Amino acid sequence: MSRYVIIAGCGRLGSLLAEELSRAGDSVVVIDKDESRFARLSSDFSGFRIHGDATELEVLRQAKADRADALIAATSLDNVNLMVAQVARVVFHVPVVVARVFNPAREAIYRRLGLRVVCPTKLSANSFLAALQEEE
Amino acid sequence: MRYRQYLRERYRWILGYSGTIWVIIALLILSPLLALPFFPEERPLAAAFAGPGLLLLLAGVLARRLLPAQENVGLSILEGSVIVVLTWTAALVVGAIPLVSGVGLTPTQALFESTSGWTTTGLSVLDVDQTPALVLLYRSITQLAGGAGFAIIILTALAGPVGMGLSSAEGRGEQLEPHVRQSASIVLRLYSVYVLLGILALRGAGMSWFDAVNHAFAALSTGGFSTRSASLGYWDSPLLEAVTIVLMLLGTINFLISYAALKGKWRAFLRSSEVHVLGVMIAVGVLVLGLGVTRDLYPTPGKALRVALFESVSAISTTGFATVSYLPWPGLGWFTLTLFMLIGGGSGSTAGGIKQARVYVLAKSLWWQIRGAFQPRNTLRELDIWQGEERRFLGDAEVRVTAIFVFTHLAVFVLGAGILIAYGYDVAASLFEFASAISTIGLSVGVTSADAPAGVLWAMTAGMFLGRLEFFAVFTGVAKLLVDGRWLILPRGDP
Repeated sequence: MSRYVIIAGCGRLGSLLAEELSRAGDSVVVIDKDESRFARLSSDFSGFRIHGDATELEVLRQAKADRADALIAATSLDNVNLMVAQVARVVFHVPVVVARVFNPAREAIYRRLGLRVVCPTKLSANSFLAALQEEE
Repeated sequence: MRYRQYLRERYRWILGYSGTIWVIIALLILSPLLALPFFPEERPLAAAFAGPGLLLLLAGVLARRLLPAQENVGLSILEGSVIVVLTWTAALVVGAIPLVSGVGLTPTQALFESTSGWTTTGLSVLDVDQTPALVLLYRSITQLAGGAGFAIIILTALAGPVGMGLSSAEGRGEQLEPHVRQSASIVLRLYSVYVLLGILALRGAGMSWFDAVNHAFAALSTGGFSTRSASLGYWDSPLLEAVTIVLMLLGTINFLISYAALKGKWRAFLRSSEVHVLGVMIAVGVLVLGLGVTRDLYPTPGKALRVALFESVSAISTTGFATVSYLPWPGLGWFTLTLFMLIGGGSGSTAGGIKQARVYVLAKSLWWQIRGAFQPRNTLRELDIWQGEERRFLGDAEVRVTAIFVFTHLAVFVLGAGILIAYGYDVAASLFEFASAISTIGLSVGVTSADAPAGVLWAMTAGMFLGRLEFFAVFTGVAKLLVDGRWLILPRGDP
């Protein structure tokens, strides 16, 4: 079944996710403040690109956040991700909201706010530790 | 060497996908046979369709087997152009064969007629009053399919990552939904519903079932093939003309915009820049043609108004139905229609021509250029265009692409009209007729006929083909085929 997914931030992570989801048949809308970032998307991506600030309600409304099945906040700023994710949850009632958080110290706080978070710093730390363990 | 291997791999994909589309084209060529039960006396014609249809079907199935097993390889827009060139050429050439073997056209005439069909032009060298019903139906089917484009059809029919590359190369790139397959399926459903309603409405307004089917196909695809040599003029019925005008408008308005209107978003519809341009053009057409041309030519004011409205919409929508002959018209009438034909319909529809959105963008750029002279050098400008619910801002790059397109369209137009003039046709008639070909309209002032010289037909065939695919896909597709062909075929050492 095709889902409607909004991705805030079209950096390395955002563009990768957008391409994968679009190729798999999902409807994808990518939002980025910087229009030149959309150049990262290959012709596999057949979704919409919205040039704007995802923290603005109007931009999310334009992306039809009210009918989205999921939203991924993948900008490079923790605070922006937090804000976008909360707006998506509280204002637009998006069922699945995932935010990227770099700072591991904040992860717990965000969790407490009821958001699903992915912390790349912690994930890579765990991978490094696992690699060390294997060496021993 | 490695590059050659890579190319070989990519061409297996390209041929594989082209094969899939050939299968669909083959089925379209075979489809008139479904009407055989209604026209049993035309059984001898069956072979004319079955032969080329089955041959292309076989070629398509074989090419499909080249597809490598692995999934999920996207095609670039350039590779999409190659597929567009391969599939459209197949449609035009194979689609011409039934006309040679079925109704005895020369190969040049048949290719012209076939191109006129698939590109939704509607210029014809056939004497339709003497033409078998199956062939008439076949022509209408080619228009129906050519109007939507093969990308839309294949995307809805099949899974596979052909996606963006193909649909943007075919000049049907605008999307309704944030996934190319879903928007293709919406366009196709919208189109089918329009066609069904169109058939019922035309039948209700007084056509026979056969005429209703053909005219609904030809009106919504903005094609313009008719089953009568006098076109819509044969019926001379205000009701039928009104229904046809609605159908032509549905065909020419951007699907994005009519989709918004259907969903009840009338504000989005009324705000769209293209709807404004369309409205202004129709109003100007009715005024200029009504006051300057038809008022003096036709007996009653009612008839004069009807003719002015119908011919304006027919030219703007790039359909090409006619209710009267243009031969007695004064120069002003020809000029107005030529201008409308060059501008053409809405983007993201089945129409051809320069497209209203492009004209709007360039006109607005001109305004900005003049205004900019009076403003401080660093003034920020926003060049915007309303499309359905969305306000799009255009950068310099988009304006440049638009300007290049308009230049190419006009350059090919002038060149083509020049060829017609060189064959001895009147200047006004040549300009009118070639505008009709390049913008895929089908209105005619008599240059197109069974006894037109081969060179004229070839020039117009090329014009229709380039105009329908909006030039660049053909240019880049052919260029890529030539460059890659040198790599793949000529034996040469590793550079």
